[in-house]
Amino acid sequence: MSKPKVATDWMAGCAGCHMSLLDIDERILQVLELIDLRASPITDLKEADESGVVVGVLEGGINNTANEHQAKLMRSRCKILVALGDCAVFGGVPAMRNFFTIEESLRRAYIETESTVDGFIPTDPELAVPTRVRAVSEVVPVDIHVPGCPPSADVIFHVLSELAQGRIPEIKDENLHWH
Amino acid sequence: MYQLKIDDKEIEVPEGTTVLKAAGMAGVEIPTLCDHPALEPYGGCRLCLVEIEGARTLQPACTLPVSDKMVIKTQTEKVKNARKFILSMIFSERNHFCPYCQVSGSDCELQNAAYGEGMTHWPIQPNWQPYPVDASHPYFVLEHNRCILCRRCVRACAELVGNFTLGMEERGANTLLVADLGVPLGSSSCISCGVCVQICPTGALIDRWSAYRGQEKDVSSTKTICLGCSIGCGIEVLHRDNNLIKINGDWDAEINGGVLCDVGRFIPMDEKRNRLATPMIRKDGGLKAATWDEALSVVMENFKPFINKKENGIAAIASTRLPADVLYYYKQVFEEILGSNMVTSTEEGRYTEVLSEFAEDKGPFEVKLSEIQKADTIMTIGLDLTKDHQVAGFFIKRLIPEGTKVIPVSYESSGMDAFTHHSMIIERNEDLAFIQALDAAITGLDCSQFSEKSGVSSQEITEIANLLDRSQNLVIVYGTDFNTKQKKETVQSLLKLAKKLNAKLISPKGKANSLVAEQLKLNKSFNVNGHKAAYVALGDEDPSQAIIKKLENISFLVVQASYHSALTAKADVVLPVTNWLEQSGYYITCDGHVQLANKSLQSPVDVKTNKEVVLAIADQLKIIVNPVWDKAVKLEKSVVEIE
Repeated sequence: MSKPKVATDWMAGCAGCHMSLLDIDERILQVLELIDLRASPITDLKEADESGVVVGVLEGGINNTANEHQAKLMRSRCKILVALGDCAVFGGVPAMRNFFTIEESLRRAYIETESTVDGFIPTDPELAVPTRVRAVSEVVPVDIHVPGCPPSADVIFHVLSELAQGRIPEIKDENLHWH
Repeated sequence: MYQLKIDDKEIEVPEGTTVLKAAGMAGVEIPTLCDHPALEPYGGCRLCLVEIEGARTLQPACTLPVSDKMVIKTQTEKVKNARKFILSMIFSERNHFCPYCQVSGSDCELQNAAYGEGMTHWPIQPNWQPYPVDASHPYFVLEHNRCILCRRCVRACAELVGNFTLGMEERGANTLLVADLGVPLGSSSCISCGVCVQICPTGALIDRWSAYRGQEKDVSSTKTICLGCSIGCGIEVLHRDNNLIKINGDWDAEINGGVLCDVGRFIPMDEKRNRLATPMIRKDGGLKAATWDEALSVVMENFKPFINKKENGIAAIASTRLPADVLYYYKQVFEEILGSNMVTSTEEGRYTEVLSEFAEDKGPFEVKLSEIQKADTIMTIGLDLTKDHQVAGFFIKRLIPEGTKVIPVSYESSGMDAFTHHSMIIERNEDLAFIQALDAAITGLDCSQFSEKSGVSSQEITEIANLLDRSQNLVIVYGTDFNTKQKKETVQSLLKLAKKLNAKLISPKGKANSLVAEQLKLNKSFNVNGHKAAYVALGDEDPSQAIIKKLENISFLVVQASYHSALTAKADVVLPVTNWLEQSGYYITCDGHVQLANKSLQSPVDVKTNKEVVLAIADQLKIIVNPVWDKAVKLEKSVVEIE
């Protein structure tokens, strides 16, 4: 049996969940024996294979049109989609801006911040258009939710090793608790 | 008794038991949110839904009384799905994003309930409507975005405290917890007892002091008693690395059942006084740090010439916040060994002396505080239970909705007036006339002469007299804030009235060990005339201006205290001692319960307990004190039975 192909990507998050993935330390060797890591933001290849992967992992919520594209692309190329971390599961910290309008958030970020001089809101047509921050499951169907801010290395290892061995991981008890 | 089957367990429970309680008895856990053991069942959150055989729909376990042969299922797919659905709805209603919240991790009952159901996410996103945050209160913040509208706080404010500050406005998603008619909490009728903060299942009510300083799983907890007054409320002191984090009411405590007032819960958190860390001796006009041996030998040297000198000797005064054993040792050292004729307490018998005079020939004539809840009519006189001994005030206020008539008698309007139609405002210092007027009216005599003097119309006197006369179970809670010139007569006429009406009497007295100080006869007025030296065992109490003034001309002053004060600044020797959280000792409540206060925190290195200091002085005098304090306390007849 060939090793299952896995691809990861990040969107509106802080990269902390990928850091937590690296925190599984030497166990990453065990994981790599079991899976074929195709693409991730921290390896050379950034997008999942066109021919498809088995597991797609998304960190972060969806807060602009580029993220939407990333999520849809990953969904179309993977069999099992994992929402990794609170931002992917619920929207997380970036979702705090949902309590304000996008105009208010942009004005605060690009003009009103104390360190900004002569600020302006970028309008280049090539830029993605900001939207309300959404959980991944609001945009594409998600198969496995892994909550935590970030999920601990042990939880991530549990999820990956279960998937690598062809099982759908069950996240319960201590693995479910937010620390 | 009814026979039930809960899941696969058979159990017999008394009639009237709710399904939730029956499940508890059978050891079957049903998740809840709005339910709390200290409150009446409410049935608001629906998390406790269970399947009852024969019932068309799922039923809330918390409000449903059991019936005979009932078959209850708590773990079916239908029940589990309902719980997940309810939790999803609650999570998506407002901002329940755990990463921002101070209770996330172990203290949040909503989060724990979701863990219990194995929820990794919820499918419905919130509508992102921001709700306001009310940060107007000095002790806590109300964060509406985290409120799940369970109304525990509203019910606690009403059922446990009787204050009715909190309520709800609007309907549906717009429902908002409000204080009074929608004013900021800080300017509302809130009395800052904090029961709402303790009972909130989520992070909606945030305690300013303890938030983010550790979850309950990270902190240690010590059960002890509050020393704020003589009620003796049970508390739980939460501490971490020897830092005080939070004080909670102890839900299991017999006396208060979990409620506390601001004096017990919040004021100790706001301790701003500077701690005394080492013994000090006055040298060349200034206080200099010294060792305990040096300090104690200076005390002895200067006391020696005055031993047994009576009015030229040593005057001693001790705080009524000190433990009972310490007060007894202190009395032995100063009265019996040093032969002082002025050995008293900081209360100087203000609340108790006149009462023991009557107890001497009558024996105990007061009852336990728990009698309040059996009363159908309660009169309070000579005190304001909304200022001091507030928890006793809660016991009274919460009975009003049940129809208990409450008659607060005072010189000016008090916090009690808003809750009862029967409050009486009388002329200052005219309690005697008021009591005499009531007595006359009850006897059927003309009361106008007395009522006029007390500033109340004779019609009002007659109405109150009728209320008292008609009552089946009358309790009079009294203090001794009476006209000092007529204190004895006032109490005497009150006792006479109580006897006539078959009323039960309760007086909350003064500080934590008020009754012990009285029983040990530490009740003299503190008069310094000719005394050459003085010893003030202040503990963690603040010295009153009157005492500081009386000690002005003392040539040698020793102060045993926890904190710097105007008095320690004048002392010749300062002996640093533990505060209330750092020592253990016995306390007797105003109604005679003997309770042990436990040590919660470690004291600073060079600080001794009050007991160690008094025993060290005894040691210097080469004497061994009698340790049997409880016998000494019971030697004299007391106003209330001591256990």
